[in-house]
Amino acid sequence: MNPQLEGIEDLAGTYVFDLRTSHRALKLNRFLWRMIGADAREDFLADEEAAMKKAGLSETEMALVFARDWLGLIKHGASFFVMEKFARVARQTNLEVYAIMRGETFDEFMATRRVPECR
Amino acid sequence: MARIIGGIGTSHVPTIGVAYDKGKQTDPAWAPLFDGYKPVAAWLAEHKPDALVFFYNDHATSFFFDLYPTFALGIGESFEVADEGAGKRPLPPLRGDLDLQIHIAESLVNDEFDIATFQDRPIDHGCASPLPLMWPHDPDWPGTVVPIAINVLQFPLPTARRCYKLGQAVKRAIESYPVDLKVVVVGTGGLSHQVHGERTGFNDEEWDREFLDLFENDPMRLTRLTHADYIRRGGAESVEQIMWLAMRGALEGPIRSIHQNYYLATTTAMTVALYEPVEPLYQDAEKLSVAAQ
Repeated sequence: MNPQLEGIEDLAGTYVFDLRTSHRALKLNRFLWRMIGADAREDFLADEEAAMKKAGLSETEMALVFARDWLGLIKHGASFFVMEKFARVARQTNLEVYAIMRGETFDEFMATRRVPECR
Repeated sequence: MARIIGGIGTSHVPTIGVAYDKGKQTDPAWAPLFDGYKPVAAWLAEHKPDALVFFYNDHATSFFFDLYPTFALGIGESFEVADEGAGKRPLPPLRGDLDLQIHIAESLVNDEFDIATFQDRPIDHGCASPLPLMWPHDPDWPGTVVPIAINVLQFPLPTARRCYKLGQAVKRAIESYPVDLKVVVVGTGGLSHQVHGERTGFNDEEWDREFLDLFENDPMRLTRLTHADYIRRGGAESVEQIMWLAMRGALEGPIRSIHQNYYLATTTAMTVALYEPVEPLYQDAEKLSVAAQ
């Protein structure tokens, strides 16, 4: 255990992205990361399944991506910061992704914010 | 000799860049954010620094996890602003001062701070989100940027104390650069926010205010906090505030807050703060005693 993270396991709804996670989910994260390239975006939009197979994703990972299951992806080991690049391709804003991860509708989530018009 | 004339702490929320590009500067929901940068822009226009040293983090754009540096310094005369999935932003490439960057790299490594270097990589919102709010850039930026990327994404991260020490080493590097340059150090990130998992949306304004107070008056206490402390008190992604401590290390000693703006609208406590170093009292005393002799 990394001593800098001591006590983190008691914090609900928080998933540490460390080298263990990163190593386990490297292919998934690389696939999500590649969405910063216009070619990768076009390949994915043309044929989602082919693009994911080419990237070596497992059946579980492909299902999570198909479903745009943002919380599931995080729990599986995706880094939020590559996931948000894929969210742009999936045409969802970060605020929409946040609402889904909290298990709320977009309007429910925005109602919890101080300035819901700030988007 | 080059010298550090000030420090800026700023959030680097990507949405700031989106709102900026869409021209939302006077939108009532966004104006409190954009207006908060005006005093910083005015200060920079008045003091005209030659270079901004940016302690920022890459969001797996310039680097992927197959090779993710703990600390990395950008070397180049220009850096493209990155496409992060939504296309290119309408900003000119950042300008770089090759001699200054290489001097800082040489000074850090010879000072046993073994920083990685990178070339020819685009730079993402960690640096490019707040920059245009502070620095005019039509047709080009008024000065150069020294990008220093810090890993705050993939644990193990450098400790808060290590970031402060990086700042101290960068200060030594700048102050040993034999060209008469004015430098401002910038630390980006925060304040409280969490953007993953069910705890997404966490904020704590009380902690944010305490952080800002300690940052100015007792930064060593912040260097003793663990990553878990930052995550618990400010939300998982607020751990990136350790990058402010690199800026604080480069401003070692007493500082004075010139301006501060805090706007917690949706998920991140968007903050900008401007500091100037205060001449230590003992230096004044020395000057007086020299004058008396």
